[in-house]
Amino acid sequence: MKYKVFIGIFIVELLLLIGILLFSYISINTRIDEMKYLRQLCQGLTATDLAIWTEARYTRHPSQTDIFSAFQDCPSCLEHFPAGSVLSPPPHFRRPLEAVK
Amino acid sequence: MTVVLENVTKVYNPGQPNEVWAVKGISLRINKNEAVVLKGPSGSGKTSLLSLIGCMSRPTSGRILISGRDVAKLPERSLTEIRRRTFGFVFQQFNLLKGITVRENIMLPLYPTGLSLTEIKARAEKVMESMRLSKRADFNVEHLSGGEQQRVAIARALINDPEIILADEPTAHLDTKLSEEFLRIIEEIKRSGKTVIIATHDPLVYDSSVVDRVIELRDGMIKETQ
Amino acid sequence: MRRHLMILEFALSCLCRRKYKNLALLFAFSLLVFILSSILLLTYALKKEAIEILQGAPEITVQRTVAGRHELIPVEYINKIKTIPGVGKVEPRYWGYYYDPFIGANYTLLGANRDMLRKIEILEGKSFFSEQKGVCIVGKGVAKAYFAEVGDRITIIGADGISYTFKIAGIFKTASDILTNDLIILSNDDIKRLFQIPTGFATDIVVEVYNPEEIETVAEKIKKLFPSTRPITREEILRTYESLFDWRSGMILTMFIAAVVAFVILAWDKATGLSAEERREIGILKAIGWESSDIMELKFWEGFVLSSLSFFTGLIGGYMHVFFFGAPLLSTALKGWSVVFPTLKLTPYVSAYQILVLLFLTVVPYMASTIVPSWKAAMTEPDQVMRG
Ligand SMILES: Nc1ncnc2c1ncn2[C@@H]1O[C@H](COP(=O)(O)OP(=O)(O)O)[C@@H](O)[C@H]1O
Ligand SMILES: [Mg+2]
Repeated sequence: MKYKVFIGIFIVELLLLIGILLFSYISINTRIDEMKYLRQLCQGLTATDLAIWTEARYTRHPSQTDIFSAFQDCPSCLEHFPAGSVLSPPPHFRRPLEAVK
Repeated sequence: MTVVLENVTKVYNPGQPNEVWAVKGISLRINKNEAVVLKGPSGSGKTSLLSLIGCMSRPTSGRILISGRDVAKLPERSLTEIRRRTFGFVFQQFNLLKGITVRENIMLPLYPTGLSLTEIKARAEKVMESMRLSKRADFNVEHLSGGEQQRVAIARALINDPEIILADEPTAHLDTKLSEEFLRIIEEIKRSGKTVIIATHDPLVYDSSVVDRVIELRDGMIKETQ
Repeated sequence: MRRHLMILEFALSCLCRRKYKNLALLFAFSLLVFILSSILLLTYALKKEAIEILQGAPEITVQRTVAGRHELIPVEYINKIKTIPGVGKVEPRYWGYYYDPFIGANYTLLGANRDMLRKIEILEGKSFFSEQKGVCIVGKGVAKAYFAEVGDRITIIGADGISYTFKIAGIFKTASDILTNDLIILSNDDIKRLFQIPTGFATDIVVEVYNPEEIETVAEKIKKLFPSTRPITREEILRTYESLFDWRSGMILTMFIAAVVAFVILAWDKATGLSAEERREIGILKAIGWESSDIMELKFWEGFVLSSLSFFTGLIGGYMHVFFFGAPLLSTALKGWSVVFPTLKLTPYVSAYQILVLLFLTVVPYMASTIVPSWKAAMTEPDQVMRG
């Protein structure tokens, strides 16, 4: 009766996954207030960016970067390493012609 | 259930340099509950003929009638169905699956039939009983002796309760004592009303009293019928 | 139905035959899904978080550029910008970076005015902050870097080479790390003094626009008024973040591709190297009355059992890693040279798209690699098993 064991495990894992999605759903809803706070804080600080990578201007404030920030237009932007490993160049540097506008 | 072959030929790799005419225009008729031996030296076409009869391969030309139905032109699906319902195979190398138990090996043909696991197990228990394998049920097959392995192979062939048992060189890997035991099992099978077709060049088998008829093959043709 | 269950039963027997190999495979497969899902979930959650929070960003930030470079902006621009219809408050911002050579960390120094700080509530210690000099509010990361508490003093060396000390009046709560972690908030006057910003100039200017529909036109008008400025709209910031956290970029992609390539090689190896033994077994099954479709189903189940269990385990593991434990394995990799790095307490956003991507990168190739090679073997005539 191995198949019963498998189906059992499968169902347990599926339930866990559903539980997790449910948890997500609930957390998103319970964090609404917190997000509102953060939004207000953002407004209060006039923050334009998240404080995640503090290495340099182009990682700390990606939305504020200018054309002279290092190697902005390198397609894989590895010079931002390791921040660049999750950040891609801001859209206004993806197509240089558009950025000039 | 009778098996009739009409002018059957089997050519391997037709039209190529390594073309082999393994079976050359064989006609024969095997009746219900008959025990027939296909005798002949190595390379005479015994295995080829056996696999043609057992719907494992299709003839290049000629007709094979099983209960009057020409199987040569049936689609793959029906062939499998016939193979499962009608035939039980005992292969020369036993062809058991290593790593799984005797019981599971014997149950193999029944998995895709839609029977419940309890029923499949009950049936396996029954054939294991008759093959004196009950004690070995939970052993992995590779841990069994040659004679036991063959009994597993026979049990697997019998679990579908087929009407025709096909055995290819069944005594090739057995000593005299085990070969005699095999013949006793064949006798039992025959007594239960089944047809038995054995391909062999072992005198112990074709001289046995169990055998009703010996068909001698040579170079893919029938030499004489006793 | 029962037939399928029985074939599943046999597939499980087959998997048990090579127990350790399959357990190892299960582990490796789960690990792959774990890594990939951690990356996907983290980047997606960061992105969603950013977009949620940065709704509060200023409607327009006006930077001045000289020769394409960011420059200080004359405060007098404010008066002209104020005359544009639909514009609310227009304020100068004074901010910059401060590298602390002793700790080796980069902080963001931000000048505050009374107005904006009245809105800040998520504070430890005193929540008030008058515009008095010599006082600061710091992010948790900064406090940790200095081992400082409320009431302690921190020293910052100004552009004139003089050390200035500031008393910590408050510390932002951990909940706001993602926004405040590296912040040191000083009064505008302190910032100006510290950075030696010439009077009449600011770092940039933030512009409030009442009607969101008008932001774009206001930005254009500012650009026309002052051709040397670059107005950055909130929309642009959001768009930046929309495309910024992108698992398809850079190092992650490299890691990603490496993992997937290794996986595909494994799968391909399996696909092409259907061993003689496996081929023989397929032949045996056919010979004893299994249909080709039954054999395909058997292979399907074998692949399904392994990949579904791995997928679930990896995904659940990845989820817990990112959302329950703050992605410690990834954040060490992502942190890089950032000395101050926030604890990632993210809202667990998950999208069906991510799960699909994961499925297509892992389960689908694996399933294909188990089923496809068996196809040919299952299609051949079974009489080969009659011979050795
Ligand atoms: N798949 C095959 N391809 C080519 N030749 C084959 C194949 N199978 C069997 N043969 C040839 O057919 C002939 C008959 O073989 P077989 O039926 O196995 O004879 P036996 O079982 O009597 O030894 C032999 O010459 C053998 O080499
Ligand atoms: Mg032979």
